[in-house]
Order: sequence, then C-alpha cells, then structure tokens
Amino acid sequence: MFFTSGLFWFIEGILACVVIVGLKVWAEDRSVSMPWWKIGLIVLWWAWAGFTAAFIGTSIGEGEPHAALMGGIVFTVPAIVAAVLLWRFLGPGKSGKRPEPRS
Amino acid sequence: MVEKNRKHLTRRGFLKASGAAGAALGSAGLFFHGIQSGRNPASYTGWKTREGGDQTFNRKRFAVDSPTYEKAGEGQRVDARSGVVFSRLPGLMRYWRENRGMEGLPEYLQLYYKEHPEDFDLDLYNYRELFPKMRSDAVRYGDAFLLAEAWSHAMSAVQVEPISEPPEIADFPGRRRGFMGGDPQKPLKMKTPQKTSRLIKKIAHELGSTLVGVTRLNPDWVYSHPMRGRGLDPDEYLEVPKHWEYAIVVGTPMSWDPMYANPNYGTSEDAYSISRIVAFRLCAFIKRLGYAARPHYPGTSYDLMVPPIMVDAGIGEQARNSVVITPELGMNFRAAVVTTNLPMMPDKPIDFGVQSFCETCKVCAEQCPSGAITMGGKEVIRGYRRWHLHAAKCYNFWNSNLGNMGCRLCVAVCPYTRKSNWVHRAALHVTANDPTGLSHHALTRMQKVFYPGPDPQDYFMPSLGGKNASYRPPPWWLRTEDFIEL
Repeated sequence: MFFTSGLFWFIEGILACVVIVGLKVWAEDRSVSMPWWKIGLIVLWWAWAGFTAAFIGTSIGEGEPHAALMGGIVFTVPAIVAAVLLWRFLGPGKSGKRPEPRS
Repeated sequence: MVEKNRKHLTRRGFLKASGAAGAALGSAGLFFHGIQSGRNPASYTGWKTREGGDQTFNRKRFAVDSPTYEKAGEGQRVDARSGVVFSRLPGLMRYWRENRGMEGLPEYLQLYYKEHPEDFDLDLYNYRELFPKMRSDAVRYGDAFLLAEAWSHAMSAVQVEPISEPPEIADFPGRRRGFMGGDPQKPLKMKTPQKTSRLIKKIAHELGSTLVGVTRLNPDWVYSHPMRGRGLDPDEYLEVPKHWEYAIVVGTPMSWDPMYANPNYGTSEDAYSISRIVAFRLCAFIKRLGYAARPHYPGTSYDLMVPPIMVDAGIGEQARNSVVITPELGMNFRAAVVTTNLPMMPDKPIDFGVQSFCETCKVCAEQCPSGAITMGGKEVIRGYRRWHLHAAKCYNFWNSNLGNMGCRLCVAVCPYTRKSNWVHRAALHVTANDPTGLSHHALTRMQKVFYPGPDPQDYFMPSLGGKNASYRPPPWWLRTEDFIEL
C-alpha cells in the first residue's frame, strides 16, 4: 500500500517543496509580489484542492461512489471558483498583461 | 535545434516546470492516497485488537462525572420475562398455542399487555402473520441470501456451555486454582485497583476484545426477573448478588462490509461469538485469581441490560435508537459483560457530543422501516430520561425481511458507524470538540446528501411490498449468484 506508506508522505513533502520553489520563480519572473498573505491564500487553496482530491479518492475506495460524486460537485466547484478569483486577485490575471520573463 | 532546446531548459524554466509537475503529481498522489485509504484493511477497526490498538480515542479528554443519561426518578428494574421481547414473544406463543386466551397468560404477561396494549397486537401479528409470510417468501426469494446465511451459521457454530447454576455457585472459583503459589482457598491480594484495572484491560484485549471498560455495577440495570437458561428461576425475584460489585464490558465489531449490507446480508453472530468467548475466558482468568466472575453474553444470556453499563464504563453514549455509540466503532459493537468482585478502578463515563448530535441527526429514525425509533424527544423510562425504542415494532421487522436474523439497519446508517479512515476520523473529532453544535447540523446534512439509503419501504420482503433492499450492496464473498448455480 504505497499511497498510505511513510514513503508516500516523504515524496509528497518533496513535491510540496518543489511546488513552492517553482511558484517563487514563477512569481519573480512575472514581477508578482508575494507577501505572506498571498502565500497564505495559495496554501489554503492548495489544501482545499488536496482535500477534494483525497475525499473523492477515499469515497471511491470505500465503495461510496455517490459520496465521491457529491464531493466532486460540492468541493470542486468552490475550488475552481476560488482558483479563478485567486488568479485574478493575486496578480497575474489582474491586468491580463504578462511582463517579460527574467532570463 | 540545440540552441532552441537550451532556451527551453533554462534553470528557472526547469524550476517552474518542476513546480507545475509537482503540483499535478502531488494532487494525483492525494487522490490515490484517498483510494487506498478507503480500501485499506487497517481502516476496518478491530484488526489490531490484541495489542489494544483499536481503542484509540482519548477518553480522558471527554470524561465526565455523571453519565449522559439523566436520572429523573426512582430507577425500576426490568422484568426480563415481559420487558425483553426475546423472552416475551416465546412466552406469548407458548400460552397462545394452548388457546387459553388472554386470561390463560401468566400474570406478568397479562400485566405487561394491559400496560402496553399496542405490544399485544404487534406480538400477535408477528407470531400469527409475519412468521408464515416470511417462510413462504424465503422459499421464493431466499436464494440470494444462501451464502450470507451459511456464513452466519458458521459464526454461531462455536457455542459456550450455558450457565446452569445460580450466581452463588456458578460465579465462584473451584477449590483448586492451579499449581502456582498462594493459598488456593483465598483470593490473591492485588496491589492496587488501578493496577488491576490496567491488567484486566490488557488481558481483555489479548483475549480478543476490541474495546473494554470497567464500572461499578448500578443495581438498576439488573433484571428483576431473569431470563431463562441462566441457572436462575425466572419466576423468582432476583436479589442482586453482593459479589456483583463491578462490571467489565468487552466487545468486538461485526464484520464491516456485511454490516453495511444490512438488514439482510449482515449478521451479529460474528461479534457475538468473539464477545462471549472473551467473556468466558475473562471469567476464567479472574476466577484463577480467586475472585467471583459471571459472564453475561449474547445472544440472550444476560441477567442485566448492557447499554447503560457500557455508558457507565465510558465505552460510549446511548443514542436515539437505544444502542450505544462508541467513538471507535460507532454502533458496530456487540458487547458482553463480566460481573465480579475483583476490586478495580472504574472508568469515567464520557461525553463526546452524541446527545446533541442525535438530537439533530435522526438518520436512524428516518431509515428505520419499522418506525421503532422515535423522531421525538427523550422520555422518562423506568426513572431515566432517554429516547424510547419501541422494541416490539423493531422485532416485528426482523420477521419482515429475508436474509439473516435481525436487522441492524440503524447500526449501518449511523454516521458514527464508519471505518477508520481520515474522512470519518476528522468528522468524529470535529463533532466531539464542537460545543456549539453547528458542525452537527452540517455533518448531518452531509450524511443525508452524500450517503443516502434506499426508501425504507424497500427494505421489506416482497409479500409486504418491499424489494429485500440492503443499505449497501453485499461484499463480493456473500453474493450467492456469483458462486452457486441457482
């Protein structure tokens, strides 16, 4: 059961670090400022999205397809709306103008 | 071409691409983690029983001085001959067959039916109409449950020797206590009640009990007139023996997947079997220490009511349907009790929010096909305020559906009766720690939207207008049609 093992969570931790570094580079390249509260909002959204994925998976795994479907609707729709709002609100999607990337 | 590729593989570009890939992989990983969590055998609470690894809830945080039922008057003991439906109905059938009419019934039954006239009609309906209907439906539609019935039968194949002597004889150890040290005529001197409690709990886990708790026995829970087959005369008033000072509650869950496929594919016999063997072995252990011990065990070999003793021992709280909800197993628990004079430190009752949750939830009452579970508030019953379960209605449904004996539907639909994965553990901790009760409303709503069951009418057998429905489909190993040519 790899996905419930300690090794899985170790790899998840590494992936989280990679995501954070990638996000930092991406923000720098687009001159998007990243104060702590923006990072907080992104982490919250990330946690919500992770919860949604894990909830749907768990419901399928325990033989509750209806719960997976309802979870997919109830949790995914706000996650998508929040993602769009975050994109618009946090910088890059605000003006629609992309600054030149740093080399 | 090489130049172009190099442009795409700048360090920053690589880090960004890695970040995006990491996000995608991390999300996919959580999804697959979810799937394996849902299927994980470790979520079937009960598998780590012997090491005590299934009694995981931090009960000390939720310990209270008084149990969560409320004393509202003088406690009255139950007369098992009439107050327990398993005793009453055979009694009624025995006398009714002799065509003696109401006047021919023994005095205790006449008294009971005078006080509960609805139960007389229900009991008679069960005996006269439901039994024959169930038999004819079983011939026509019973094939689907052959494997389930065989499995239940196998689980009940190992029985214990019934107790044939009264407590003053049966409960005490024999003259010999083995070959090891100590005066065989005297109980061994235990160091402290705390240490003894700890020891007994460890032994109970080792013997196979998933949950265990200790309490002082409240005499109100002992039947005033006992059941048959307990070495006592049911027609004589039972004085509570002095050596029934403490009660140890032990018990195990029913197999999880069939339990969700109730009211027909599941069985209580698996948990009954383990619980009664644990109780007998625990008695043997205590007697070896030189103390008195008496097992009260399922199916119907009790001198007392088990649910309030479970509450007193901090195993859980009594719910709307009168069954006890435990934090680890929900209602999926079949208990036995050992009464003893071995001095122990009693556990405290717990309050982890069940009373408030049940007030809101009502899923069991809505799903119950028999209407036995009240949708209303608590009532004073024999001096204690709690929700009323109409046992005669409940028992009638046992003969209104095919498959294994019993129903257990309220056990299966209860939001607390969930396997131990992160979703349900999180929900448990939210409800247990929420003093406002807001989460109870939210989670109840989620339960009804996310985990709906069939129409209650569908649970009945075909001759009563139903479809023999089960709350969830049976596990693969109980699907008769997949293994047997019918």
